[in-house]
Amino acid sequence: MADDAPEVLLRPRRRLGLRSRVVLAFVVGALLVSGILAGVAYTVTRNNLVDTRERTGIRIAASNAAAVRAQLNVEDVDPAEILLTLSTPLQSVPTLRLGSDSWLTADPLRFADTDVNVLLLGQVESGQPSQMRYRFSNAPFLVVGVPLPDRDALYFEAIPLRDIDDTLQSLGIALTGGAVVSTIAAAMLGWWAARRVLSPLEEIGEAAEAIAAGELDTRLEAETDRDLGRLTGSFNLMARTLQQRIERDGRFASEVSHELRSPLMTLAASMEVLNNQRDEMPDRAQTALDLLTTDLVRFQGLVEDLLEISRFDVGAVNLQLSRFEVAEFVRQAVGVAGHEVPVTYPKRVEGLFIEADKRRLARVIANLLDNAEKYADGATGVEINRDGDTVTITVLDEGPGVPLEEREAIFDRFSRGVEGGRRGTGTGVGLGLSLVAEHVNLHGGTVMALPRDDGAIGTRFVVTLPGVAR
Amino acid sequence: MRHHQGVGTRILTVEDDERIRTAVKLALEDEGWQVLEADNGEEALALFRREPADVVLIDIMLPGIDGFEVCRSLRRNSDVPIVMVTARDDTHDVVAGLEAGADDYLTKPFAPKELSARIRALLRRARTTEPGVSRLTFGDLEIIPEQGRVTLSDDDLHLTKTEFRLLVELASSPGRVFSREVLLERVWGYDYFGDGRLVDVHIRRLRTKIEADPANPRHVVTVRGLGYKLQS
Repeated sequence: MADDAPEVLLRPRRRLGLRSRVVLAFVVGALLVSGILAGVAYTVTRNNLVDTRERTGIRIAASNAAAVRAQLNVEDVDPAEILLTLSTPLQSVPTLRLGSDSWLTADPLRFADTDVNVLLLGQVESGQPSQMRYRFSNAPFLVVGVPLPDRDALYFEAIPLRDIDDTLQSLGIALTGGAVVSTIAAAMLGWWAARRVLSPLEEIGEAAEAIAAGELDTRLEAETDRDLGRLTGSFNLMARTLQQRIERDGRFASEVSHELRSPLMTLAASMEVLNNQRDEMPDRAQTALDLLTTDLVRFQGLVEDLLEISRFDVGAVNLQLSRFEVAEFVRQAVGVAGHEVPVTYPKRVEGLFIEADKRRLARVIANLLDNAEKYADGATGVEINRDGDTVTITVLDEGPGVPLEEREAIFDRFSRGVEGGRRGTGTGVGLGLSLVAEHVNLHGGTVMALPRDDGAIGTRFVVTLPGVAR
Repeated sequence: MRHHQGVGTRILTVEDDERIRTAVKLALEDEGWQVLEADNGEEALALFRREPADVVLIDIMLPGIDGFEVCRSLRRNSDVPIVMVTARDDTHDVVAGLEAGADDYLTKPFAPKELSARIRALLRRARTTEPGVSRLTFGDLEIIPEQGRVTLSDDDLHLTKTEFRLLVELASSPGRVFSREVLLERVWGYDYFGDGRLVDVHIRRLRTKIEADPANPRHVVTVRGLGYKLQS
């Protein structure tokens, strides 16, 4: 019933679970925040360091250029000597171009004329003091150029920036590390928070499963938390309503059961009184009486089936377990069902006891035999077998077989198969096999409709039951 | 009219639904029984005091005092066979009816022929294995089948007919294990599919009468998974 009803889905399906999404949100947030912070910290520090170094470098270079300019005026002074006397607190390298291509440098290994950038040279040549940051000899430098036009010279000074680079690199590593650590921490925090938030949901899930399993009086503990209180409150309300409704249905079924059985009782008893006088009746009355009798039996069967089904629906079923010898039982059940069908079993089934509900199991066998009667001109055999802790009871027929697509559906209620449309004498309404499935499931067993595996045409209904008694 | 073995046997039917009562009465009369009717519990008890019946048929759902109570009241001073009729075959009703003292039960709708078979089984006399045996002794327990008497330490015990037949059946082969199916067939006349609870409840009731400590029975013991036996 519930299988066919369209279910109301409150939310579309998502690929990630709620917990994963919370963790992901925390991680993305942490990454964003720590990334921005690290970026800002890095940029500010870098600008600060480089600016300071540039300002100092330019000041020193300017004062060195002024010193060179002053000393170039003095006779007998070797310009190379001048370069060596300059003050270079930043380990900078002074270089001088005299004339148009005579280069002097304080340390040709670190800064030679070829290291002077062409653009910078051009600017300085045009009389413009300039500076430029670029890399040579595998290291970053700030090169400051000052034209000394009245001495026909250009002064350059290369200030190394490697230490700043190193500092910035360390800072970068530290900041990246910080970002990674805070992201991991955020992921853990997110996981914990999600668990904390979801734990009431898990409790609700467990409670719902308990209710689904038949423990209708399951309730959630009242929550003091305002946000959760509403959820537990409405869950409990739902559970209570459900329980009341199921119990009302149960009472209804019980009352209907009584209401239906009473008139049937009168009918059954009166019918018997009439049948006692059948011989004294005219032929036409006898025929009518036979019709009444047959259909009363049919009607009683139908009412019994419906009542049985309603008991399953309200969960008011309990197994009456007892131990009995399976082969003897099956023989008796086949006999009581009124079918002349051979019962066969291998030697290992002899003396085998099982624990089951006799009445229900007898109904299972009777219904399977009735089903074979209706759709396959009767069962041709009943086989019992044992496989470890389970027993199989197989009802064989030589009928037209059950199409693959109907092998499950025939156990649904009111299903009579494609040819079920024919409703000759004694054909049921499709409750028989569904009751078979319900009874067998109640025992924790299974029932299947399969094609015969011995080459013959027909169907075998295989009932598998646990409960081999030791 | 056909003639039957039970001519003169009186059956009291307690049923508040007049249609059912009338139909069942007609069917039972066809079987040759004489039928008395009551439509409530009080009337049934009063009628039984005036004209004791051989078998009482009680519907559980009655106005006023219910069928269980009628059953308990009858049991206080009578061992008359009682058949409970229930419209619901749930375990609770069946076991409660048997606990209240009923000998058997039927679920509506039943065929009157089935009811007659039950009545005949209940009216059957207790069988003894050998006609010559006049008394059977098991420690302090003594059974005198001919007189329908059972004594415990020389005190007379009041057993119902069904309890007595159950005990005699077990005593017919002391030490042998009787399965529920066998006891159902021999005592109640059921086929293989009788309700094992009939046996269990009656054994329990029997124990409260013949055992010093019913929780630790020494005479009628349970053989797990197989049935019951009378300790020789």
